[in-house]
Amino acid sequence: MTETQAVRQNILRDEERLPPVPDPGVMVIFGASGDLTARKLVPALYDLAAQRRLPMEFAVVGLSRTEMSHDDFRKKLREELDEQRAGSVSEDVWESFSKGIFYLPGDSKKPETYEELKGFLKKLDAERGTSGNRIFYLSSSPSLFPAIVERLGEAGMSREEDGGYSRLVIEKPFGRDLDSAKELNGDIRRYFREKQIYRIDHYLGKETVQNIMALRFSNGIFEPVWNQHYVDHVQITVAEDIGVGTRGAFYEEAGALRDIVQNHVMQVLCLTAMEPPVAFDADSLREEKVKVLKAVRPIPEDGVKETAVRGQYDGGWVFGEEVRGYREEGDVAPDSETETYVALKLLVDNWRWAGVPFYVRAGKRMPKKATEISIQFHKTPHTPFSGPDTEGLEPNVLVIRVQPEEGVSLKIGAKVPGSGFEVRSVNMDLLYGSAFLEEAPDAYQRLLLDLMLGDPTLFIRADEAEGAWSILQPVMDGWSRDAHAARYPAGTWGPEEAEELLGHDGREWRRP
Amino acid sequence: MSVEQIEREFGRLRMNEDGTLGLRASVLNLVAVTDEESAGEVTRVVSKLAGRFPCRAIVMVSDPEEQTANLDIRVSAFCDARGGGGSQVCAEQVEVHAEGPPTRHLKSLAGPLLLPDLPVFLWYPGAFSVDSPEFSGMADLADRVVVNSAAASDHGAGLRELSGLTRDPEMPAVGDLQWVGLSPWRSLVAGLFDPPDRREELERIHRVEILHDPRGEARALLLAGWLASSLGWNPESVEENGGSREFTFAGPSGEVIVALDSGSQDASLRRVRLYGEELTFQVSRHRELSEAMSTVMRGDDLLGERTVHLGFFDQDVILGEELRFRGRDESYVGALRMVVEMLDL
Repeated sequence: MTETQAVRQNILRDEERLPPVPDPGVMVIFGASGDLTARKLVPALYDLAAQRRLPMEFAVVGLSRTEMSHDDFRKKLREELDEQRAGSVSEDVWESFSKGIFYLPGDSKKPETYEELKGFLKKLDAERGTSGNRIFYLSSSPSLFPAIVERLGEAGMSREEDGGYSRLVIEKPFGRDLDSAKELNGDIRRYFREKQIYRIDHYLGKETVQNIMALRFSNGIFEPVWNQHYVDHVQITVAEDIGVGTRGAFYEEAGALRDIVQNHVMQVLCLTAMEPPVAFDADSLREEKVKVLKAVRPIPEDGVKETAVRGQYDGGWVFGEEVRGYREEGDVAPDSETETYVALKLLVDNWRWAGVPFYVRAGKRMPKKATEISIQFHKTPHTPFSGPDTEGLEPNVLVIRVQPEEGVSLKIGAKVPGSGFEVRSVNMDLLYGSAFLEEAPDAYQRLLLDLMLGDPTLFIRADEAEGAWSILQPVMDGWSRDAHAARYPAGTWGPEEAEELLGHDGREWRRP
Repeated sequence: MSVEQIEREFGRLRMNEDGTLGLRASVLNLVAVTDEESAGEVTRVVSKLAGRFPCRAIVMVSDPEEQTANLDIRVSAFCDARGGGGSQVCAEQVEVHAEGPPTRHLKSLAGPLLLPDLPVFLWYPGAFSVDSPEFSGMADLADRVVVNSAAASDHGAGLRELSGLTRDPEMPAVGDLQWVGLSPWRSLVAGLFDPPDRREELERIHRVEILHDPRGEARALLLAGWLASSLGWNPESVEENGGSREFTFAGPSGEVIVALDSGSQDASLRRVRLYGEELTFQVSRHRELSEAMSTVMRGDDLLGERTVHLGFFDQDVILGEELRFRGRDESYVGALRMVVEMLDL
């Protein structure tokens, strides 16, 4: 070993069994008095610290307008942590971790806040060895994003100096439509380069979503049939049984298209349809996802009605419980036409998927919570068995269940025992839970660690966000001219129009 | 009980109430070789593993001293439910009690019971010897041999034997539960040098002190061996004084002393302290608590400290960690060889 080797890298960590630990640094959270910080970010950071995945020289600085002392902030975070990790919080670990948590009250629109922040971070560098590395996590209202980015840029805090890094994290939604997404990306890129920007959609941090890639690209048997020669169509369902709850005001602004389809559903579509990336790294993976988004056939302005269904739930019954309709929810206008359900027919115009429709749907107050991808294969071209013997036989279906019971199910034809040759479809179910009982780490835990390690693979690139908006923009334009949302009773799989969307093509939705 | 009867019994155990056969998910084969005295504990550990590693476990309870040949085979399944919910993880276990001549042919018993296409881990929970009559045959079946170097009555002799095993190209890769238990310590020690501005201190370490109790000797030696092999220190001499040993190494920047003190009162591995040119680094734990503290000092000034989970050290957890690893662990092999060089001084 030469001196340069030891200095260039920590040679003691140079082995498979010792996982990498990020460099020292500070995470500044804007909007730190909000729910996300206490409920998701800090518990995830605490877990990482307890598991030896954070460096000793790590600090969190919360920033928001609420007046609070460092200790008040720590106390608030601890209370929430106790609620989330009941009985499993170590006093010693918390004591050590919380010494690195600080709070600055300030108006994120005012330049003086940034001067104060800058001085405070320099102090932390000196006192806690945080080495000038900065993560700016925008957890505030999206309307404040441009101002925060501008102030950070003006204060020189987006610059990466002396080998330190400066990273910006943006929570979804990335804009409200294509124009605002482009504007936001433009605003950010005035001060931050793309490699400094981490757009976070926690969906990609879920083990179950990553398992879609594991299934496709670590099993050679699927690839040969994963194309238009064998696949009749694909259905993607992201269903929730809950209503909007306390998020009425937010939902009135967003709707299911912006809240779920633009991000979660589009990501699942990309992971299902993309070509195998040459490597599991940021550029390779994101390039392939962007290619899918580019290949989605634009929805013509006059074709929205034939391609997209907009729905809203009325009152009804969900699993034995009577629930109210969307318009009766808190902070929702009594004449609201905001969609709580979306169904789309998309076509991916490339060699692999030409002619294979992708039917996607997302909705609230469905009969149950279910996220799944269903690959419906062509019928057998010919069966040697006589007609009556094959009445119970359907085409093969491969279902990748993302939640709640993650697994894979394959519908195959099998002979019914006995004389004759009666063939019936049988579902072969494999629950991943029956192979691995280990609790998957929280999505934020995974993503925050990747962020600190500088790995943007599971984050959204600007062209991905814009690509997804670009597909949906004609739908939003069409709905702005005709806002009517079809009604469906809570506890059903959506409005009648959604059935017709597939019915026109001689197909029907799968019941998850 | 024949192989067919055993498989049929496993089929019956996973039969649903409606008479259909539940699908089996398995990730590995685990073959444990133990004696009558430890059989209960080994079975308990294997059953606790079921939740994390659905597997076919074959526990070979061997009593070679008996003159009369005897075989007793029991079949069971352990299931663990996730959060009380629907999905279950199950492990199948065959317990084979062999007495007399069959104990020299354990391979013929274990081989037909292995699930095909899955890796085979051969685990010796207690003292292990490559010269035991069944070992070479059992090793033929295995992809990896898992041992506990602290189980040997003479730790040094046990580590030497393991080092010999790692040198034999015909033998499967070796895993050591003491090395697994050392991982959090190694991670914490490595973490002390993660900040780029501290890496230079790695070159300047001139003294290391490791405090352990007699149970932790193998672990302490492996820790010293790991530091020495990673940092390019060559062992030159040793001085022994009661319960402590001082090894002298030639390092890239001069002499390095590694002092092993077996005087810990309350923990198998209690503390490791590294002295650099300007800084002193320490990782320590109190008693057998699950937390450990790392500190960095400049003289009397505390530059940094943190407390983290060291992890849990139940045997099933440590064995489970080992079962995640498949290949040859070059760091372990390097540390082990260094330990042998140190013991040969």
